[in-house]
Amino acid sequence: VAELCVCDLLVAQCDVNCCCDPDCSAAEFSLFTTCSVPVVTGDSRLCSQKAATYSLDVEANPPEMIFKLIDHINPNVFCIHTANYKQALSFTSPETPTSESFDQLLKQFGSATFSTEFESWSVNSDSQISSDANETYRYEYGVPIQTVDAFVRLPSPVVSSWCSDANPAGFLVNQATKCSRLVSVERCSTIQAVSMMFYINSSILAKWHEFVFQVNITVQSIVVQSLNGVRTLLDRNEVLRLPAILDELCINIVLGVSYHITYTEAGEIIEAAASFVLGAITKETLSIQQSFEISFMQVNTKPVPLSGNPGYVVGLPVRAGFRPQGYPSPLPLTDITSGIIQSTDKYGQLTILQSASNWDCLAAAGARAPVLFGYNMISGCKLRITAAMECQLLAQTLLDLLKGQNFPEYVASFGNSQAQDVLDWVPISHLHTSEQVKIYNIFQSSCQIPVSLEIEVQWTKYGSLVNPQARIVNVTATVTTAPLNQLPSGRERTVPITSSVVFTDISSPAEPGYKARPTINVKLPFDFFFPFV
Amino acid sequence: SSVSLQILFYVNGIYYIFYFLATLAMIVYKSQVFSYPDSFLAPDLVLLFIMAILEALRLYLGSKGNLTEEEAPLGLSLVLTVGSALLCVYFLVWQTYVLKADVILSAVLLFTYGLESVLEIVAIAAFVS
Repeated sequence: VAELCVCDLLVAQCDVNCCCDPDCSAAEFSLFTTCSVPVVTGDSRLCSQKAATYSLDVEANPPEMIFKLIDHINPNVFCIHTANYKQALSFTSPETPTSESFDQLLKQFGSATFSTEFESWSVNSDSQISSDANETYRYEYGVPIQTVDAFVRLPSPVVSSWCSDANPAGFLVNQATKCSRLVSVERCSTIQAVSMMFYINSSILAKWHEFVFQVNITVQSIVVQSLNGVRTLLDRNEVLRLPAILDELCINIVLGVSYHITYTEAGEIIEAAASFVLGAITKETLSIQQSFEISFMQVNTKPVPLSGNPGYVVGLPVRAGFRPQGYPSPLPLTDITSGIIQSTDKYGQLTILQSASNWDCLAAAGARAPVLFGYNMISGCKLRITAAMECQLLAQTLLDLLKGQNFPEYVASFGNSQAQDVLDWVPISHLHTSEQVKIYNIFQSSCQIPVSLEIEVQWTKYGSLVNPQARIVNVTATVTTAPLNQLPSGRERTVPITSSVVFTDISSPAEPGYKARPTINVKLPFDFFFPFV
Repeated sequence: SSVSLQILFYVNGIYYIFYFLATLAMIVYKSQVFSYPDSFLAPDLVLLFIMAILEALRLYLGSKGNLTEEEAPLGLSLVLTVGSALLCVYFLVWQTYVLKADVILSAVLLFTYGLESVLEIVAIAAFVS
């Protein structure tokens, strides 16, 4: 019985969650979550038999596998003491399920492995049951957050743009939705979804399916929006403001709710706060647009917005930053370096010029567009050059315009690269090319102005074949300059200025790894050629 | 005549009836619950009936010999006791399915046989002399 292992399917490799697999080492046992085969035993109708029980001790660090060989005594007086017919217990006729025995048969034969009566008296049952209980009572990603009566709702448009109140908020799913709702001044106190109470009324369950611990939703801030759109933040936050009719207006209508949920690593919710935007409607208003948002933060951490975990996710901004110069120390080969400094605005770390509506470079208000991973972008503007412009000043202005105020030095290679791991960040290399056409006779050495900035981001697929992660390998910023010819005064010229971002996939084609072919190991005996060698 | 031997024969008779019915019931139970092919069922049943006949004969001869104080029936009963003991051992060890209840019943029967054979020998010795 100790050598039998039902779950050992792969030869010479460790099977996952197979505690009886002889190919697994202690390090691999510590990675298991449960034992898929808890007990291996013979027929339970025998009076006395050996049973091998396998269990995982999750209390120890790292978890270890406990193997016990115990004797199981069947207390039944009709247990088989000896079976002299060798094939006796191999041919059991299966029990026909009746309505009474169905549940018991389902429990015994319904899962992937047939369970025996051992399940009820396994030795470490207490610790295993409690750890299972803890497993199920925590929130996992995407699970609807439960409240006392139903779940936390985030009204969102379903088919049309009208709000549907049945959309649950998923745990750790940051969402923002906008939808329209029909309102009228007469019914404003009866429509539930425009009153603050609807959103903070029921308390959230801290653990999934456990009603013992509940978290009340606190009101974090209230912003009042007047009819012409002016928003003011109210000082006293804790007062609940319900819709009321005042002078033909209905005030304190909820126009926006923003939930902030704080959770722990164990999947429990410990705090919930809601910020409201309240507004007013007039008699003529038929519908209002409500916006809802929910965001999650882990307790005791500062949230650094990641652009992927670990590989970049298409559409999330590329993370970039600076590294301040380390002071060279008197000791050789050591340099006091520091980490990467990033801007807190996650959309402002690596940006390109955003085309303005009037196409004029110098009148552009400095709007920048964030570089999103995987999205090739091109933008530009037109520069009007008059004779009076001074070249050097123009060149510097254009360079600032193209690169922006804080053009970063380093780009994160993974979406979740930490600021302190400097080696995880890729330096941006700069190239300068020139549009100058060399005409052999006339060599114009006029000054150059930058006319285009092209950022090429080379990325590769990294990791496993089934779940490749995007990793940035190389970032090159190429500034192309063109000569500025002197214009006769009074004339002016427009020069197009462009900036673009290109993402190139330089991943090498995937090579599946095969196991080595088994070789035939044939060796002649040592003294095969005895008399001669 | 030995009173204890007579009592033992009487008790043995009653116990054997119980033993026979219980073993028969258990063979029927085993044939339903376990896989009991006919080639194994037949010898078990045959041997059980043979044992019943042997037992009846043995008890009759033994009690007749004890009451009439003759050695011949007692001696024959002793020989038959050996046969019955062998059959009892069969039902204890070599039966197709030996359940714990079988073990208990057969062990008690074997113990009774042992006691009986000792008392029979004593009785024969007493009658011969």
